Amino acid sequence: MSRNAQEWEERPNFPETHFVSTEIYTDEALFKEEQSKIFNKCWIIACHESELVNAFDYRTFSHPGGAPLIVIRGEDMKVRSFYNICPHRGNTLLYDPVGNAKRITCIFHAWSFNPKGDCIDISRGKQGYQERFGCEQAGLREVKTDIGYGGFVWVNVDDDSCSLREYIGDAMGLLDEHLSQPLEVFHYHKAVVETNYKLWHDTNSEFYHDYMHYFNRITGMIQPGYFDRKYTGYPNGHASVGSMAIKYDAYEGSKARGVGWPGLAPGGWVLIDLFPGMTYNLRTSVLRMDTAIPLGPNKLVIEFRGLGLKSDTPEERAERIRDHNTIWGPFGRNLHEDLLGVYGQGRAMRERTDSKWVIHGREENSTIHDEMGMRHFYAEWSRRMGRPAFDPYGTRGIKAAA
Amino acid sequence: MDPRHAISELVARSCMTLDDKDFAAYLELCDPQYRYTITAYSPEIRKDMTWLEHDREGMKTLFTNLPRHNSDQSPITRHVTLYTVEHDEAAQKAKVVSALQVFRTQLDGGATELFAVGKLHDTVNLAGDKPRLLERNVRLDTRMLGYGYHIPF
Repeated sequence: MSRNAQEWEERPNFPETHFVSTEIYTDEALFKEEQSKIFNKCWIIACHESELVNAFDYRTFSHPGGAPLIVIRGEDMKVRSFYNICPHRGNTLLYDPVGNAKRITCIFHAWSFNPKGDCIDISRGKQGYQERFGCEQAGLREVKTDIGYGGFVWVNVDDDSCSLREYIGDAMGLLDEHLSQPLEVFHYHKAVVETNYKLWHDTNSEFYHDYMHYFNRITGMIQPGYFDRKYTGYPNGHASVGSMAIKYDAYEGSKARGVGWPGLAPGGWVLIDLFPGMTYNLRTSVLRMDTAIPLGPNKLVIEFRGLGLKSDTPEERAERIRDHNTIWGPFGRNLHEDLLGVYGQGRAMRERTDSKWVIHGREENSTIHDEMGMRHFYAEWSRRMGRPAFDPYGTRGIKAAA
Repeated sequence: MDPRHAISELVARSCMTLDDKDFAAYLELCDPQYRYTITAYSPEIRKDMTWLEHDREGMKTLFTNLPRHNSDQSPITRHVTLYTVEHDEAAQKAKVVSALQVFRTQLDGGATELFAVGKLHDTVNLAGDKPRLLERNVRLDTRMLGYGYHIPF
């Protein structure tokens, strides 16, 4: 039965934990709060160690909290991260997304820095600043950096944050044995989509949307074991989904995967969602990593990486690449569908569209079509934001249950 | 005889048939040993990437499966300019390089935007009754394709 305006606006008939106000996906002020209260407080993946192989190799990274970063390997082979901002007049220090820089020299006035963040030269420094100011006061702003969980480089702009290990806790347990060998990125691309970063993470947090994916319905949903997989929630908003055996050859033209992954059963699939916007997706022969970099409440950059083993033979690597791109490449069967889905949500959920609620109400004993992954995420979101996701401004007249 | 004219027609038709989603006609232009790839270089990871790779049968299966998927229905228009033709008379083949621009037109309103640029690196089989595509590499310069597209360029 269709509804009138008043009925459309009424809160869904679920507990407050089972729905959110669409304001959390559209409001500009909430987005800015998320940048300071969430992204600037959490450990975020900036790149992978295989992108920084040699001393002085660097990558730049647009931190979702707003700061532009340089991630650089020093002469001591340690990886460090700094603001990509010259302390002199605020210029960008490194313009290219990748390179090798034994000495970082600003194009503007030639101030120079080393990969440890020390200022090593101020052009005509004594002439201009005399004894008042010098290199000692002009070092780069360093950002906490750690490498772990498959060789990913993690950063945290909060100097007082917990360690990466404390932040992850037991959440990566399902993947521990599968990340023991050195990995290498073989695929990288970005997509910009007009949607909210949480809508993308929501999609990675539930499998009910397999109805959107013909490939997944044929190779997974109608196969044994699909509905047996369970979600598990962990502290700090992380969640995991256990494995099943995907029947790849059920999709016309697709074959059973000839290349596997250390410790993973044939056809196996493990997924771990890390708060606030990273997903480890280990699917039989390939590890995919999504990192979300929101530019605004309705604009999102997603970095997509595909990884194999550093020890792959050329034939193994070629097969992993084919497996990855068949479903997850820019022309792959599934990725386009996922992006189309969240684009559609973004379109329908902008300010003034009169969208009201998003329901996370499915309960199926935490199995694969349960929506507890999202409920778990928004519990953490609400805690960090100090606002309930079901009524962030308290204007919907909903009181939390005692 | 200079095969440039026939090759130009072949490359143009390969784009026109895909524009029209006439996949059967496209496959008619392809040799039985056809190999198709979409590649791009990622400066971020300093590696060449292969984004799609199929033989003729694989392309046929891809086209067959398309209606089963959820896809962006905006039509795309491929614009091709033939650059160079290297004719190997003895081998009855030609290596062809063409510039490619792909435009996408929104169904709602009809606004057109540039979607991707790159080059087509083709090997054409000149033996037989007419030229056919033996190999095509779509070498993309564009690496950001928004929400993507299911139909190969």
